[in-house]
Amino acid sequence: MSNQTLYQERLTRIKHAINLEPVDRIPVVYMGSAFSPRYMGMSIAKYCADPDAAMDVTLAAMQRLGDLDGCNLIPAGRITVILTGQWLSRIAVPGRDLPADSLWQVQEAEMMTVEDYDTIINQGWRAFEASFMPRVIDMAEVRANDKWLMANLAGVYQRFRDNGFVPISGGGTTMPFEFLCGARSMPRFYQDLYRIPNKVKAAMDVMMPDMIQMGLGGARLSGAPGTWVGGWRSASALLAPKLWDKFVFPYLHQIVTALSDNQVLSVLHFDQNWDRDLARLRELPAKKCILNLDSLTDVRKAKEILGDRMAIMGDVPSSLFAMGAPDDIANYVRDLARDVGPTGLILCPGCDAPINTKPENMETFVAAAHTYGVVA
Amino acid sequence: MADQLSTALADLDEVAVLNLVQAQLDAGVDPLAILTSCREGMVLVGKRFETGEYFISDLVMAGAIFKQATALLGSRLKLDGSGTNGVVVIGTVKGDIHDIGKDLVVGLLRAANYDVRDLGVDVPPQKFVDVVKETGATVVGLSGLLTISFEAMKQTIAALRAAELPAPVKVMIGGGSVTDLVRAHVGADAFGRDAPQAVVLCNQWIKD
Repeated sequence: MSNQTLYQERLTRIKHAINLEPVDRIPVVYMGSAFSPRYMGMSIAKYCADPDAAMDVTLAAMQRLGDLDGCNLIPAGRITVILTGQWLSRIAVPGRDLPADSLWQVQEAEMMTVEDYDTIINQGWRAFEASFMPRVIDMAEVRANDKWLMANLAGVYQRFRDNGFVPISGGGTTMPFEFLCGARSMPRFYQDLYRIPNKVKAAMDVMMPDMIQMGLGGARLSGAPGTWVGGWRSASALLAPKLWDKFVFPYLHQIVTALSDNQVLSVLHFDQNWDRDLARLRELPAKKCILNLDSLTDVRKAKEILGDRMAIMGDVPSSLFAMGAPDDIANYVRDLARDVGPTGLILCPGCDAPINTKPENMETFVAAAHTYGVVA
Repeated sequence: MADQLSTALADLDEVAVLNLVQAQLDAGVDPLAILTSCREGMVLVGKRFETGEYFISDLVMAGAIFKQATALLGSRLKLDGSGTNGVVVIGTVKGDIHDIGKDLVVGLLRAANYDVRDLGVDVPPQKFVDVVKETGATVVGLSGLLTISFEAMKQTIAALRAAELPAPVKVMIGGGSVTDLVRAHVGADAFGRDAPQAVVLCNQWIKD
């Protein structure tokens, strides 16, 4: 079968899952940012420094793993620069700040001041971001990454398609909450929500048009069906309900609706536990989201509450990839397929398969998806 | 006044707590009694977390208020940060530089009157051993957000088990992806699903 035929078959399978329609087999999607170089014998430092190498090694890992339908997040650009932009924090970079074959790490600290909220409110998000970024990264790195993206971004996604793999999402955005939380640091930001709620909310309101444009831009430039809408520190388990209702959901709703209005799917990459507020997600446009869970949210409860509204993607735990045996992975996939599939499920590592994933566990994940994902 | 203070802290009323602490100090109330009220407020916060009324954000705010209140008392009490319930050594293990979860646990344990020796992040196994020997601590808390921390936890626990320590040590672990599978793999005595669980474990192991 040609790669083009494979691509169309896999795209159809994934679209059926997104639309909650019957599938011939539950789609299986890859995500292993740091696992790919480790699996293929490339240093993490090279993966971080060379975006061409990052793309090549991800593709090579997927080809070695076999019949994968797609990739949740395509490596497009230098991951540490992208993470800096998402977290608004310094990133410790392998080969520079850390040993060459270790994992990159976010160095969360209070890099944004309380006064910076006024800058956002008075001058806008973009102006603030431009002034803020030099606090957390050498701007020469950002310029180099931008240059690479301008020259290569569309081609990256096309390469995955040419090899038969469906890029699920391109680029990403998130609620203002996550950007501010990263920049202020989680403890400081959470305290801001109690102490200066109106100022925080005013800043969030100013940020929103740029957050939406960020998501639309990622999807447009990549040609992928969806874009990432991330949530980690805004999870239900972390926030008092009154805070979640005020600072999270209204913005999530706005972003997803705006993306949906522009025919862009929201891949709700939700880390941590969102159990308490799953029912609120029913207010999001139907079949315009994928709920991408990391195993901390109760995936069966999510299916029960949201199964007629959105597909679920995930959620094989990272600790199982790192510590479990192949049988543990196979059993997890079997149970997931039985309880959450076959319609409206996309099998995927929860969050991101970790750097110390045992190769046999990832290989078992793909094999088990085929064994247990086939619809009789 | 003490009830009012503990209630204000439990209600996360920062301004009221700080005003009450200052007013009581000005009125000559024993600083130790004020501290006890603040700790009672933190106990109420913990209970509200257990019952699902409070969430992590509430714990963060309560911890911040408690810290300010004890800072006001500090000069009068000559507080050195030590508690009387026992010594707990805690740190983020070698190779992991994340500290938010660990810091939350440290704050809650101090509020619960434990003497916490916070070793920071990226802590090598031998450092834990050395501080346990030095302090005679009977509980060690190991934190790690990343899955790469699991091996460092295992090595640290192995080093603690191999060392000649003044007293037997219980080890608790915590972090984003820690599960019972991880606990068993690294050889810890228990793991905490959330920060308040560390206080529960220490109360079981040391205080009770």
